Amino acid sequence: MQEVAVYFLHGLAYAGLLFLVSSGLTLVFGMMNVLNFAHASFYMLGAYFAYSLLVYTGNFWLALVVSPMALFVLGALVERFLLRKVHELGHLHELLLTFGLAYIIQEGVKWLWGTNPQAMAIPSFLAEGVNIFGVTYPVYRLFVFGLAVALGLLMALALYTTRVGIIVRAAVDDHDMVSALGIRVPLVFMGVFAFGAALSGFAGVIAGPLLTVFPGMAHTILVDAFVVIVVGGMGSLGGAVLASFIIGELQSFGVILFPKFSLALIYMLMALVLVVRPEGLFGERQ
Amino acid sequence: MAILEIRDIFKDFDGLRVLTGISLSVEERERFAVIGPNGAGKTTLFNIVSGKFRPSSGTVMYDGDEITRAPMHQRNRRGLSRSFQITNVFQNLSVFDNVLAGVCSHAGLRYNLLRRPHRNQSLCRRTEEILEEVGLWEFRQTLARELAYGQQRALELAITLSTEPRLVLLDEPTAGMSRQETEEAIRMVRRVTERMACMIIEHDMNVVFSLAERIAVLHYGMILACGRPEDIRQDQRVKDAYLGEQGS
Amino acid sequence: MKGKGSLLRWFWPLVAVAVLVALPAILPRYQLRLVNEALIFSLFAVSYNLLLGYAGLLSFGHAMFFGVGAYTTGLLAGKGAAMPFFGALALATLVTTLVGFAVGVLLLRVRGTPFALLTLAFNALFYAIAIKWSDLTGGDDGLKLFRPAIDVGITQLNTNAHSVFYYITLLVVGVTLLYCWYFTRTSMGRTVLLMRENEERLRFVGYNTSVSRLILFTFTGSLAGMAGSFYALFFSFVSLEAISIDMTTRVLLMTFIGGTGHFLGPVLGAGVYIYLQDFLSDLTDRWPLIMGVLFILIVLFAPGGLSGIIRSATGFFVRQDNAKG
Repeated sequence: MQEVAVYFLHGLAYAGLLFLVSSGLTLVFGMMNVLNFAHASFYMLGAYFAYSLLVYTGNFWLALVVSPMALFVLGALVERFLLRKVHELGHLHELLLTFGLAYIIQEGVKWLWGTNPQAMAIPSFLAEGVNIFGVTYPVYRLFVFGLAVALGLLMALALYTTRVGIIVRAAVDDHDMVSALGIRVPLVFMGVFAFGAALSGFAGVIAGPLLTVFPGMAHTILVDAFVVIVVGGMGSLGGAVLASFIIGELQSFGVILFPKFSLALIYMLMALVLVVRPEGLFGERQ
Repeated sequence: MAILEIRDIFKDFDGLRVLTGISLSVEERERFAVIGPNGAGKTTLFNIVSGKFRPSSGTVMYDGDEITRAPMHQRNRRGLSRSFQITNVFQNLSVFDNVLAGVCSHAGLRYNLLRRPHRNQSLCRRTEEILEEVGLWEFRQTLARELAYGQQRALELAITLSTEPRLVLLDEPTAGMSRQETEEAIRMVRRVTERMACMIIEHDMNVVFSLAERIAVLHYGMILACGRPEDIRQDQRVKDAYLGEQGS
Repeated sequence: MKGKGSLLRWFWPLVAVAVLVALPAILPRYQLRLVNEALIFSLFAVSYNLLLGYAGLLSFGHAMFFGVGAYTTGLLAGKGAAMPFFGALALATLVTTLVGFAVGVLLLRVRGTPFALLTLAFNALFYAIAIKWSDLTGGDDGLKLFRPAIDVGITQLNTNAHSVFYYITLLVVGVTLLYCWYFTRTSMGRTVLLMRENEERLRFVGYNTSVSRLILFTFTGSLAGMAGSFYALFFSFVSLEAISIDMTTRVLLMTFIGGTGHFLGPVLGAGVYIYLQDFLSDLTDRWPLIMGVLFILIVLFAPGGLSGIIRSATGFFVRQDNAKG
């Protein structure tokens, strides 16, 4: 029973990370109809930037703040100069671009930081354990989950109460309409894309100490993020929340129940959803 | 015998009733117009007849056989063809290839792994005949996306004709055309649909009264009136609901 | 004029064939093996382009057919197996054809992004199965193959001789590629283009697009399977790499770099990729980065790929109204 509780909590932490990564992915897809293969690459870059900052400054909190900012800028640049250029050539080309970008970032990371995994130290006061269900559970994992929840609530607040948030939601819903209203849609796109990149990078920073920093980390979470947005519904934040939870727990329990097959299991779930109910849990039928 | 018979068609979309109890029939070689204000359900009716949608209830009979649930490609193979209000062609292929597609289909040449359509004399000749009929023969090598608007509408019609249909559904064939283009379009439609039954959705009353032998007026998903043009013109209900607002 | 033109059309292809046939006498063994590898991947890439350039379907799972072909061959030509050369090749291709059909059934109504994701999912599934069935597939260690000799009446051809294997590849792959080119002109080949342009309208002119989809998948799957079979025989070895997403990435890069707008684009791309890989990997471990940069540059500035660039510059590789870009 205790073990179940522990795995459950592990799943929560991973779900938190998944949510942070997939929320940006689903918003971008809903708004721009582009599936960004490089989204998890932003996550990985966030981790690597933080790792280097940590090595040079020793300050985790600095890394936590600066790294996402760097990703924000990078995301804006990618959207403005790469994605937009390829936009008129069609969806296929946008996919190819983001795919190529992910590939380059992957190789670039191997080139700049080497292929070996790097460890990131957890800040000392978060490295403790806390007593839950009679088990000493690492605080850091709760921290990860807590941060994800906090950011999720902040996003929800921003999306539903601020003017910018309403514009973003409208753009996700129907961007032709929004541009007809005179709102500078390209700016909104760039902003959301950059924000998504920053959020993804932020997830990478906090994932670093947990999962180690290695060149394959983009690919492992990309798969899961894809499944999350398909299951949750492309464009739906609420769907991303629920699906992140499901996938997070599935991964956590799946690794012990079906070790070699757990990856395939997740993919099969995605395939099933795509074939049976392509709009996902909360998505809208195209 | 009626080539098309629609009986009691109802169509609901997510709780919204779009068509209510539509019944009508089209005779062989008859030109039948369907008119009505925007949102009256005309295109939905076409979608049901051509197979894009299934009705919520009711039947569609073509040439004596029920086709209510038949897939689109089967309806076409029996001789039912449609055109689209928003040009729906094969953009990056030549005008020739656009029409050849249907000509081959009618000849049963669709998935053959050995025969080459471009080497088939009779198919190519038939394609060129159709292109001549709609006035696109000089543009046969032009890519569809490079055509002017009026020519695209002609191509739209040509593709519809390419499968040798016995019943064509023309969805606003003169949409977006100038006065002169419309006159030419009327002449062309009359000429090419001589041998077939023709059902037309139109907004331009000039076109309707030039072409139609019978008219059905659709209003909020119901048939308000159905009959010959002279009768429709006089019909008070129609005038109140529709023609009156338009002017004649 | 027409007579002269049609004779001229055959000139360059004949020259190319003559050169290819003469190569074992000209090139050293190592270079010959590179050409051989390029031929094999040409078939893989051409099959991929039938999906990408001709049908407009971006698949992230093409390696599953390649891998199935490779592994089936690995089992048929492995330790203790007694299957003849062409028998193994044919059977592997047949198995892959069935897989292609099955996958086609599942992907019948999907396009665009969902299609990309689903093919990615299937590829990953096949990869996971290959890992799980390590008794069959050899898992991380892979399978060793022994190239069967070929009986030609009085004598046997030693397929382990580089030139012999090269000529077999040239013959079989060459003829297959020739058919693929012919295919693009057949009724089915034209239907593939029509499907790319407007699948809905195609149905309205009487085509059952489910049938055409299935034929397309079965066909391209079997081609990729044949390529995979040759791959296994060529290296006398199969491993997880053959069925991995990395292999799909490789063929995607090859096809796109070569150019999706012409039939020979993928052939060019396969050749360039293999040579570049060979040349660069001597210089640096990070040659994939250079490939990636090349790929991105082409996506951004030359979406027609190398064949597109050559077309603008010299008028070769004239587009045969088949493709976008």
